[in-house]
Amino acid sequence: MSLLSFNLRNAAPARIDLSGLTPGKLSGLSSLEIAKIIVGKDREQHTAGDLFDISGALDSDTGLIEFVGTTALSEGIGDGLAGGSIVVNGDVGAHAGRAMTKGRLDIKGSTGAYLGAGMKGGLITVAKTAGEFVGGALTGEKNGMAGGTIVIDGDAGERAGDRMRRGTILVRGSFGAQAGSRMLGGTLWSETGFGASPGSLLRRGTLIAPKVESMPATFADCGLHDLNILRILSRYMIELLGPLAPKPLPPMVRRYAGDLSTAGKGEILLVG
Amino acid sequence: MTTPVAKTINGITIDDTFAEAFGMSATGLVITADTAKWAMIAAQTMTGFGTSVIGCGAECGIDREVSTVDTPDGRPGVRVLLFGFSPDSLGPQLKNRVGQCVLTSPGSACYNGLDVPKKIALSSGPRFFGDGWQTAKKLGKRRYWRVPVMDGEFIIEDKAGLTTDAVGGGNLLIVGKDRAGLLEVTEAAVDAIAAVPDVITPFPGGIVRSGSKVGSKYKGAVASTNDAFAPVLRGAVNSELGPDDIAVLEIVIDGITSKAVAAAMTAGLKAIVAGGAKKGVTRVTAGNYGGKLGQHHYHLKDLI
Repeated sequence: MSLLSFNLRNAAPARIDLSGLTPGKLSGLSSLEIAKIIVGKDREQHTAGDLFDISGALDSDTGLIEFVGTTALSEGIGDGLAGGSIVVNGDVGAHAGRAMTKGRLDIKGSTGAYLGAGMKGGLITVAKTAGEFVGGALTGEKNGMAGGTIVIDGDAGERAGDRMRRGTILVRGSFGAQAGSRMLGGTLWSETGFGASPGSLLRRGTLIAPKVESMPATFADCGLHDLNILRILSRYMIELLGPLAPKPLPPMVRRYAGDLSTAGKGEILLVG
Repeated sequence: MTTPVAKTINGITIDDTFAEAFGMSATGLVITADTAKWAMIAAQTMTGFGTSVIGCGAECGIDREVSTVDTPDGRPGVRVLLFGFSPDSLGPQLKNRVGQCVLTSPGSACYNGLDVPKKIALSSGPRFFGDGWQTAKKLGKRRYWRVPVMDGEFIIEDKAGLTTDAVGGGNLLIVGKDRAGLLEVTEAAVDAIAAVPDVITPFPGGIVRSGSKVGSKYKGAVASTNDAFAPVLRGAVNSELGPDDIAVLEIVIDGITSKAVAAAMTAGLKAIVAGGAKKGVTRVTAGNYGGKLGQHHYHLKDLI
């Protein structure tokens, strides 16, 4: 059985909501029923069949769905994903992987804001860049990301990990300004560096990078340390990501404790 | 001697009897450190005074060394097993032994070493040594606590695996006419058992020289010397020993599963009969209570 594929015929005329097109939500539906799902967010109320060439069928074993030709107006891809996999050959808009609990979302392009906001489990990979508030909390939500892993090959926008509680966000490029703002736990790990003022109001959690554009005054230099937890983290990432895993962290890191204007049990770790 | 003989192998008689063992609760930990030496020191210290659940609260021992490839932090490790009457009795033992013997050991870390669905609290107690500075990091399904200490951070996993299907009290009684030779053969049997996964031999060096019977003439003593197997009483009591037997040593085996205990007893028996006769071993038997107390019976003749 070929995989279930949604190929966008033309660039969408307005924002579309693809949150209804996950393996779990499509399971058991016929092609006709899938084609009738409303994805338009404007008055036109376009259906999936209006905008996409839909081919194949959902394989219950792999639970794999493919999107082709999506753009920054394609929002909510993988929202609430609870199993299976989604592969996106294109850019996506806001809220990709929002509140997902399980499964895998691979985006071969860039994403808009709130990637993985409130996610609780699973894996998201992004081949290019991500917008603001990666793993953050939407307005009105108490906490951001509470589990799972996000891997971004490019840069992440401002305030990644806002109100994040658990989980790991790995960025091979840089985090934008104020990464880890109001963070309650979890790990932000950049292989390049943090922008200005990381960890504003950081209560707990770990920010790891080779450099910081400007270290906030409310973080205290605790000196160089050999932290065993970093060995565990490095091995966990290798086990989870295989070839996508980052280079294992060096044994010695410089630890800055903060944000001391709040609980202060968080840390920024500078490697190398 | 009243026990019938089941078979004779290489000149050593195997009694037609069985070891009677009991259901227990158990957990496993992996202790790591900067070097294998310090991982072993921490493991030996925390499993010390853990021979008998009656007098020590738990029966504890080292299962095996764990290679750097298989530990969560990539450092050398040692897997230890702890057995208790129940999860309730195991909890305080775990807390005290880890708190006093692993937390205190230089460079140590303590992880779950039993991958089963049921769990027992591991960090409750030791993590509060952090006095509020302890923090947790959850990676996948495992939560690790980081406790600041004088040589860095003590890492302890939040929970450890717990089984209530464990078995305690598998045993072999090895009888001989030469005390030094008997000890040598019993040591070889303990070494063979050590190669079996998921079992421990909790007594000193894996060997007991003071096998016991239930009860005593003295009020308050729950166990007393096994006079039927005490050679110096051979003429004075209804002895189980032959005229040339001058010593008996016992190996007690606890295992995570009944299958592991049986495999360990087989390994031990094979090692004994392989060369034991030349060293003065005459016979192998086993301890039981008539089969009415323990749920697990291991018949020697079925094991070899």
